[in-house]
Amino acid sequence: MLGRLALIASATLALCACDGNATREIRVVGSSTVYPFTTAVAEAFVNARSGRTAPVIESIGSGAGLRRFCEGVGAQFPDIANASRRMTRNEYDRCQANKVGPIEEIVIGLDGVALAESNQGPKLQLSKRDIYRALAANPGGRPNQARTWRDVNPALPAIPILVMGPPSTSGTRDAFVELMLAPGCLEADPEAEALRASADPAQFDARCHRIRDDGPYVDKGENDNLIVQGLAQNPNALGIFGYSYLEENQSRLHGVPIGGVAPSYGTIADGRYPGARPLYLYVKTRHLKAVPGLKDFLLLYANLWGPTGPLVKRGLIAAPETMRATMTDRIHRQIPLDPADLK
Amino acid sequence: MQRRIRRRYAAERRFRVLGAGAVILSAAFLGFLLFTMVAQGWRGFTTTELALPIDLHAAGFHVERARLNTPAADLALASAGLEDAVENAATSAFGPDGATLIAPSAWTVLRAAVKRDPAILERRTVVRVPASTAFDRALAGEGTPAMKATVARLQRAGMVVRGFNWTFLSESDSTDPVAVGIWGALKGSLLTMAITFLIAFPVGVLSAIYLEEYAPKNRWTDLIEVSINNLAAVPSIIFGLLGLAVFLGTWEIGGRVFGPMLPRSAPLVGGVTLALMIMPVIVIASRNAIKGVPPSIRDAALGIGASPIQVVFHHVLPLAMPGILTGTIIGMARALGETAPLLLIGMRAFIVTPPDGVTDPATVLPVQIFLWSDEVSRGFVEKTSAAILVLLAVLLAMNGLAIYLRNKFETRW
Repeated sequence: MLGRLALIASATLALCACDGNATREIRVVGSSTVYPFTTAVAEAFVNARSGRTAPVIESIGSGAGLRRFCEGVGAQFPDIANASRRMTRNEYDRCQANKVGPIEEIVIGLDGVALAESNQGPKLQLSKRDIYRALAANPGGRPNQARTWRDVNPALPAIPILVMGPPSTSGTRDAFVELMLAPGCLEADPEAEALRASADPAQFDARCHRIRDDGPYVDKGENDNLIVQGLAQNPNALGIFGYSYLEENQSRLHGVPIGGVAPSYGTIADGRYPGARPLYLYVKTRHLKAVPGLKDFLLLYANLWGPTGPLVKRGLIAAPETMRATMTDRIHRQIPLDPADLK
Repeated sequence: MQRRIRRRYAAERRFRVLGAGAVILSAAFLGFLLFTMVAQGWRGFTTTELALPIDLHAAGFHVERARLNTPAADLALASAGLEDAVENAATSAFGPDGATLIAPSAWTVLRAAVKRDPAILERRTVVRVPASTAFDRALAGEGTPAMKATVARLQRAGMVVRGFNWTFLSESDSTDPVAVGIWGALKGSLLTMAITFLIAFPVGVLSAIYLEEYAPKNRWTDLIEVSINNLAAVPSIIFGLLGLAVFLGTWEIGGRVFGPMLPRSAPLVGGVTLALMIMPVIVIASRNAIKGVPPSIRDAALGIGASPIQVVFHHVLPLAMPGILTGTIIGMARALGETAPLLLIGMRAFIVTPPDGVTDPATVLPVQIFLWSDEVSRGFVEKTSAAILVLLAVLLAMNGLAIYLRNKFETRW
């Protein structure tokens, strides 16, 4: 009897599931680096007028986010993709194959990839060349033998190289490789320029993009707090993470100067510190009409991303004023992305 | 002879020591876990508030009274600059860095107060607003010396109020650790569990009854039994992939697209997926409970003329119920603590409001803990531990219920 009643109840529940999409909330997927900023805007969006449906934000990584974003248009697909790197031409073509239509690309600001150490640490002063020689898998085409920082550069102390960073699926690690390791490779290795120009990109990749996996680089997983904790426990270690984590933990950590420039809001914003990358939102133009409040959400984003706004307090680095104006204009006039710009 | 007896005693002592050691070791792990959670988490249940004197009238803040009773009240108060008025009041009350001492959401507290009692607009009043995370951290002993000095100054002035954090029990996720609450996730968990129970319990019990009481014993039922035992051991992430493909996938059949059966991120799809996961556990527990009912009960009932279905529903099932319920609750407790399958079906989302029904987007307790552990702000460390304590309390309540039900209905033969 009990079982029969429950069965009927569950059948009825399954039936009412079909009207779930009547008025739909805003749905955002993508990068874990953009996540704290989009969630802050979502909170302000709901706070501005109580009773608004709360946006749903999932942090699944830039690549996975763009893949889901490009699966199609309609109620079951996300409206916005957060990305900590630019959309690739392949991803755009995939979007178009699934009839997604025009896409708006909006830069919300910059993020810095920072190298940091504990306040009890040895106060290292590094150059991009040192970083390359210490962390690349094959510096100069030979397996990396360096065990201490002195092996890398005689001016540095003889403490073992130990760097904690994100795994290979992370956009932060991609940015680290692109902004610090590869430029260091071009500086340190005279053959690298020729390899880059050569027909075989795999060789350049192996020499300039691959991080060593024999111990000195420790993969700490996607949770950046674990890296912060690791640094506090091991003063001789360095950590790689987004600048916002460094700012939040100023009482325990400080940034490692690269080429004499320490990571700070100012040095990242004007490009003197090498680890700055733009953060993106991708929005489906067709969804702007269909999803209520989506345009308001974007305009609220534009209101909050200025240099004195709340997003900067959370660790975002504001984009230059002209770029902010261009982006606000894009939202107002719904200017779509030109695929010819993409790589 | 003597030597053999001594050896037997020695073996006995060794076994006792080993057994006691195992118990002590697991108790020590549990104690350590509880101790660290409580030590870190108790502050998560407290709140730091600042007594903010504010005079909206003197500050030149003006809103038409008539609009306060309309749905546009929020908009009217926001566009009249309530947020700035609160920040200015904080600056004049607490010093030049006053605006950084109150939480960014402080103005919504005042907004609620104004809507409750519009008279606040006309006179000077004192409102208790939440303090900022930086202030709260400094009060806990970790922060910049300047902030610690400010905390000491305001404490001497009697403006700092500590209390129980009701917000934590009544609100949902937020980006600001002083404004977060566990209620959204707890409600999501309860709704998900309700769906799981409504599907897994009847289906699981009915299949157990069929397999025990009606199904013929042959190779097919053996195969089914092996499959069920296998399913009970399948890692939960695989059920997540199954849920993703079946309930959230789209198929193209004959040129028409059949779209996702269930809404993404909703307790409904989470509940159905978890029901698939715990159904084998319920079937196995129920079959064992039904097997444990003595055949004499069945024979006696059949002997006085009961039909087979009457035997099952009037006699066997009630007697097997304590075992079935215990198994079900243990399965439900496993589902409550499950994270992996829910990540795949979109329940790891940031949502500011609690779900209103089973089709609204929601998150659940373990996923909320996972999300908070990954947050940037230091204030989330204690909130994560506090959320773990809430999860442990719910689990404890469920297991307590299992023990109570077993003792209440248990029959001894």
